[in-house]
Amino acid sequence: MVGIVLVSHSTGLAAGAAELVAQIAHGVRVVPAGGTDDGRLGTSTERIWAAIAAANTGDGVLLIPDLGSSVLTALTLLADLDPQDGGKQVVLADAPFIEGAVAAGVAASGGFDLAAVAMAAQEARDVRKL
Amino acid sequence: MSASSEARQFADEAAERTVVLPKHLHARPAGQVAQAAARCADVTIDLAAGGRRANARSVLAVMALGAVTGSEVQVTAVGPGAEAAAEEICRILLTPETDS
Repeated sequence: MVGIVLVSHSTGLAAGAAELVAQIAHGVRVVPAGGTDDGRLGTSTERIWAAIAAANTGDGVLLIPDLGSSVLTALTLLADLDPQDGGKQVVLADAPFIEGAVAAGVAASGGFDLAAVAMAAQEARDVRKL
Repeated sequence: MSASSEARQFADEAAERTVVLPKHLHARPAGQVAQAAARCADVTIDLAAGGRRANARSVLAVMALGAVTGSEVQVTAVGPGAEAAAEEICRILLTPETDS
């Protein structure tokens, strides 16, 4: 199953979003990576690496960032991945944080592959709430 | 199950059901609907309510139907196994809320 990592500035936001996704998409593997190493607002490369490792069962990992430095940190981290050694197994989603996470979670729990899960997250941009 | 074995013989099988919701079609049941629809890979399932239509595989589109308790939801399934798929979606829609 594709794993999902939620990258946020806030430990609480990432954890809460992961909790919500797990509630809606039963059985999904979703791991929060929020805040700095000492729990302040910010992003932590180490936390994101650890979350990717925890989320990866061999079918790949989708990173969903909230905004700003979450995106930049995730991009930097992706640039450091060796494309010959699992680098293609980690994809960054260009998607709204909560909606994208929920849509990706449902797709991942349904057994779709990494490309399809990333597509589900990105399609969330076009779904209206009302 | 005779319904599903029959379904395999007819690729253009279609099923239609209408249910009255005993609960809001909010995030959790929408997720259950989308997961069930994803399991029926060969069946196209649509939900319609209040003049809106949603692909059952899109959890966000299903939520955006805005279907509240007492709404009629029409379930349309097309493809091999459509009957069983429609039954499963209706079962989820008709399951009463167990918690908030």
